Amino acid sequence: MQNQVKENYTISGFFVFFLIAVSQKTGIVSNFQSLVVRDAGQDAWISVMLLGLSLHLIIWMVYKMLGYPAKDVIDLHRTIFGNFMGNSLSLLLVGYFFIISLFVFRTYIEIIQVWVFPTTQTWALAAIFICMIYYFVSGGFRVLTGVCFFGFLIPSFLIFFLYFPIRQGDLQNLMPVLNHSFLDLLKASKSSSFIYFGIETLLIYFPFLKLPEKTAKWAHIALHYGTFEYTVLTVVTLMYFCQGLLKHTLWPSLGMTKIIEFTFITRFEYIFIFLWLMVIIPTICIPIWCCTRIMKRVATLKPRLSLPFILATLLIAALMFNERMNIDVFEKFIIEMRFYFIYAYIPFIFIIYVIRAKIGINRK
Amino acid sequence: MNSNIHKALREISKSGDFVQKTITVQGKLLHFSYYTSLINHEQFHHDLLSFIQTSNCEIENLDDLKALIPIEGIKVSSDLKQISLSLTKGSIFLQIDPHFNEGLLVDIADLQLGLRKNNNTENEYSVIGPKVGFVENLDTNMNLLRKGMITEKLIFEEHTVGSVSKTRIAIAYIEGITNPQHVNTLRQRLLDLDVDVVFDSSILEQLIADNSKTPFPLLLSTERVDRIKYSLINGEVSLLIDGSPYAISGPVTLFSFLISPEDYYLPWILGSFFRLIRYFGVAVSILGTSAYVAVLTFHYRVIPMDLLGPIIESRINVPFPPLLEVLFLEITIELLREAGSRLPTKVSQTLGIVGGIVLGQAAVQAALTSNILLIIVSLSALASFTTPIYKMSNTIRFLRFPLIFLASLWGGLGIMLGLMFILGHLMRLKSLGMPYIVPLFPFRHKDFSDSFIRSSFSLTSKRFSFTRPLSIKRYSVQKNKDTSDDYDNE
Repeated sequence: MQNQVKENYTISGFFVFFLIAVSQKTGIVSNFQSLVVRDAGQDAWISVMLLGLSLHLIIWMVYKMLGYPAKDVIDLHRTIFGNFMGNSLSLLLVGYFFIISLFVFRTYIEIIQVWVFPTTQTWALAAIFICMIYYFVSGGFRVLTGVCFFGFLIPSFLIFFLYFPIRQGDLQNLMPVLNHSFLDLLKASKSSSFIYFGIETLLIYFPFLKLPEKTAKWAHIALHYGTFEYTVLTVVTLMYFCQGLLKHTLWPSLGMTKIIEFTFITRFEYIFIFLWLMVIIPTICIPIWCCTRIMKRVATLKPRLSLPFILATLLIAALMFNERMNIDVFEKFIIEMRFYFIYAYIPFIFIIYVIRAKIGINRK
Repeated sequence: MNSNIHKALREISKSGDFVQKTITVQGKLLHFSYYTSLINHEQFHHDLLSFIQTSNCEIENLDDLKALIPIEGIKVSSDLKQISLSLTKGSIFLQIDPHFNEGLLVDIADLQLGLRKNNNTENEYSVIGPKVGFVENLDTNMNLLRKGMITEKLIFEEHTVGSVSKTRIAIAYIEGITNPQHVNTLRQRLLDLDVDVVFDSSILEQLIADNSKTPFPLLLSTERVDRIKYSLINGEVSLLIDGSPYAISGPVTLFSFLISPEDYYLPWILGSFFRLIRYFGVAVSILGTSAYVAVLTFHYRVIPMDLLGPIIESRINVPFPPLLEVLFLEITIELLREAGSRLPTKVSQTLGIVGGIVLGQAAVQAALTSNILLIIVSLSALASFTTPIYKMSNTIRFLRFPLIFLASLWGGLGIMLGLMFILGHLMRLKSLGMPYIVPLFPFRHKDFSDSFIRSSFSLTSKRFSFTRPLSIKRYSVQKNKDTSDDYDNE
């Protein structure tokens, strides 16, 4: 039952940093600031920070569940729920990962249509991205890790451009600190929770890491980095926007980059959006890869066969969302779904796993 | 088996340069068969004929004859196949009259005929450093390498490739440094190869490369002796081919192609600076014109007002969209380059002036292109020639064309898509089974000391880890530099 990954397909454990950090970056170009500010006001950054810190617990659970010996969630499902139930649950995950990649995919196309090419047809953009995704995913997991690596490193320098909104911002906007109730802060955390997600793919690619148990620290460091980045970004956003405007801004981060000007470049947000492709492509590719991986493990379907099928579905599904309203509803759904998956489902199987392990020891 | 080899040979070769001569020595008839185009005639007359004709000994059988001739490696043979093969390699076949079923094979091939004696590395020039290059002769090339590395660990492993050309090749590596895995991979690929004629090392390079569906060269080919020495000492395996002045070396990474030997001959600060300039050149060469197309077609808002003025002014009379304008100039430059490399040196210099200056100026005055584009195109053409290895600079020049088309379709997004695609492609490439873009991915921080910059020799005392050498240390670092300042000691 154990399906050991051959060593020449594995990646060195510290690359988990890039795999997690890149998927967490996607939220930067979204409306999370306006969502979080609705409940927590100027204390939004505390909510964002709390949320990031709470995820350490989830990562710890994942590593505990899947380590010793390394396995993926499919094996875990089988041991916990038996073969049939476990496999069905794993197949449900295909849908979950598909929806995640669809969400990232569609939102990026929307950004391009709104900010850069208003007249371009969705299908044309979607089709060229699909080709790209096919090329990367069919390269295997190591190529995907490489894309994550570059997708993290190259756009990372963008954080220095926060200097411009900071220069324009007003520290008074953050005052008074902590005048919201704890419950409000938690509510705000929940509404913006989608920004940190990206750790659930760890459930599938875990056995691809070399010595995964020993390199857990890199996953935590990635989360730390993400938390730091988002907290800084939220603080800067709060300094730059007044809260009333922020609540109705769809892409606050892009709005802030708009003011950046050099002697040879204005409208910096174009560069920002194009560079963002490097973040978006791996974030779509990894869930897609997870889909094909689950199908391979559960239904023994060859990835070469399942991948074109999944991508075709992705293309058609992306074309169905043609209005902002649709995407909005979809976003709300995604936020709920991911929240419960991370904070309910993973602890749930963790508890069952622990109980089973205890019983197993007692029986021996 | 034909007992009369003399006759059989006549029947096998109908070629005009196949000669059969008969001379009489002391009443015996001696028959010679050889290709007159292959043998060394001086050696034939001085070392062979004169000894036989002036000798006083009885020539009764082949052994007597063998003792007479002062040349090594004489074989007695009666195997027709072997004889005819040796003849086509430049041997001479000697028979004594009644015994037509066997004879002597004497190797007096003239391998130097028509070959140049030296090569000035004109295609991979460096101002400082040795200028000796490989030539078309395998023995000379092995001699050049052996002279520079006085060690018995330098191994040449000879094979023959090509069903018609029977080209001699030599796999060179240093025992105890080069990972045997690479030698085995290379040897296996060469032995599995079926090809008729090997014209040049580049053909072999393409045939044994890991992936042929790529514009990138997956093995390094160079005519510089110092470069191959450097590759060998770093644990790579090299391949020398008879008849080609270019040696092949691998496994290599993308970044090996941007290394020039001159980096090591200059102080490391200058060497690093020039290497960075080269990387910048690659970026300009790939992105220059496509960025122009993207910006002027879609994103003119990215240009600040002050800069937009001059650009509009220079383009105001140009009737074409940026894509056509760029393609027109790029193709002109490519034509110039192609014509320049096909024409004799003196003509091509004149052509460069006519094409470059006259055509460019005229194109601007005729309002076919803008001044600014002319600058960008010539800059990016210039930048592409900074790449030290010719094959890689071709690749880099080629890559801009898909990017130009993508830029005209999707602007900056198209360029980014193209770059991502190239990146993904690079990550999938392998050179002799090793990943192509180490030290970036897989990440090897130790190899960074000699990648984008050339660090000082005290930091590059270890070999590259991507070649997986058997011993990682090259030399120990000497600390005998006088860097002490007066300040602490005065």
